[in-house]
Amino acid sequence: MTWPDSIQEIISEFQEIEDQFERLEVLMDFADEVDELHFDEWNDSNLVRGCQSVAHIEVSIRDELVWLRAAADAKMVQGLQGILSIAINGKSPEIVMQLTPDFAEEAGILVSLTPSRSNGFRTMFDMIQNRVKEEIL
Amino acid sequence: MGDSMKQDFPIFSREVNGRPLVYLDNAATTQKPACVIDAMTKYYSSSNANVHRAVHTLAGEATEGYEACRKLLKQRFNSDFAVITSGTTEAINLAAHAWGEHNLQPGDAVVLTEMEHHSDIVPWQMLAERIAIELRFVPVDEGQLDLDALEVALEDAKLVCVVHTSNVLGVRNPVEKIISMSKSVGARVLIDAAQAVPHEVIDFKELGADFMAFSAHKMCGPTGIGTLLISESAFDEMKPFMGGGDMIQTVTLEGSTYQTNEHKFEAGTPRIAEGVGWAAALEWMSQIDLKSHHSRLLKIAQNVAKQLEQKGMKVYSTLNPSDAAVVSFTHPTIHPEDFARLLDAQGIAVRTGHHCAQPLMEKLGVNGTIRASFYIYNDESDAEVFLSGIDRVLEAMA
Repeated sequence: MTWPDSIQEIISEFQEIEDQFERLEVLMDFADEVDELHFDEWNDSNLVRGCQSVAHIEVSIRDELVWLRAAADAKMVQGLQGILSIAINGKSPEIVMQLTPDFAEEAGILVSLTPSRSNGFRTMFDMIQNRVKEEIL
Repeated sequence: MGDSMKQDFPIFSREVNGRPLVYLDNAATTQKPACVIDAMTKYYSSSNANVHRAVHTLAGEATEGYEACRKLLKQRFNSDFAVITSGTTEAINLAAHAWGEHNLQPGDAVVLTEMEHHSDIVPWQMLAERIAIELRFVPVDEGQLDLDALEVALEDAKLVCVVHTSNVLGVRNPVEKIISMSKSVGARVLIDAAQAVPHEVIDFKELGADFMAFSAHKMCGPTGIGTLLISESAFDEMKPFMGGGDMIQTVTLEGSTYQTNEHKFEAGTPRIAEGVGWAAALEWMSQIDLKSHHSRLLKIAQNVAKQLEQKGMKVYSTLNPSDAAVVSFTHPTIHPEDFARLLDAQGIAVRTGHHCAQPLMEKLGVNGTIRASFYIYNDESDAEVFLSGIDRVLEAMA
């Protein structure tokens, strides 16, 4: 599958890493990409269910572009949210709806994670697309 | 000592993420020696048949292999009755259904503790929903059960259920004293010994409890099999829980009669291969001096705990002389799952989370801990690799 450049870059970066520890360090570095959802805004509707750590994501559409704000108590989940932010922020709803979470698998990111976390990643991805769908309908 | 024993365990020849495996998740499950794996393979390769009924050779061998497990359990733990279950959880559920439901009345008090594994809380909560028994919880104070509170809770209690050794903290409770206190008010006692039997040989009759539940997989045996040891007087008060094949004497359309021995609680085809495997594990364990391993491992765990504290971690395990070698800890800022994942990347297996003991976690004021639990094949070098791994995590997260 052909991915947008920003995602292809992430895939390539992860594919080049052989050491597992280093891969997780890089994953955590992506936490810096998250536009943080403040604690006061955490609620049941933006809670990521099925994720072992506490995670929240909020999706909004401004000027017809999708923007993600997120937060989590674990750094690796924050890293996953950072990757999602790169994949989604500033894209049109149509492009976001065409994305699949498979890029994370192709990058080997999910292999590094426990099933609960990789499920959490998919849940966050589904939440984003569901919110976008709600917004554009 | 650990290194030479590791040779008996095929799994230690593998690497995880390019590093030799350092397995410190033994409180969750232990690794299996080759003799256990071989016994199960041999059973399926040459003796596979159903047990107890058929007269052919294979059925005889299968029956003998499965019943050898029960015999060894009774011998090792000095019990007249050993019902084979799928594990500790099913054993406790069996006690709740087969004894609790027929011997407790609405309003009767059952005493539990805040230290229990979910498997020794939920079955009693479910029983309370069915027959309205009263559940009383003995609090934990600084990692120890509050025995003064137990004394109060014991008033008119009919059953006391207590964990022998905590899966979270490694704390060995004073079960002998608890049993004696419980018996003085005429209560039956159930001991969750899942974390105890891997570390010590318990004489069930001498202990004086009525029920004792544990699993094979935490003592080098297979998963999917465990037992409920039962005192003679409690056994006489129990009624079958599950109905079906193997547990009956006769079945007519008008009604059925049941076996009189343990089989009446083992409806259906039992866990034959697992029984054969557990028998092999019990035979292998009979050659192990658990006492000397216990003191060796406790020293390792105490040293690990001390160094973790020096590195800024909060350690919850007390590691008193009779406790199991379990070190539960947290870091002030690093999430336990991040910690464990970064350790795994270095080939080190530890456990994180609430360890199926959420009430205890609440008491400790944490959502979860990181737990390193040591077993007989672990040695100093494992502890060194673990502590180096910790250093690398701290460096990466600084």
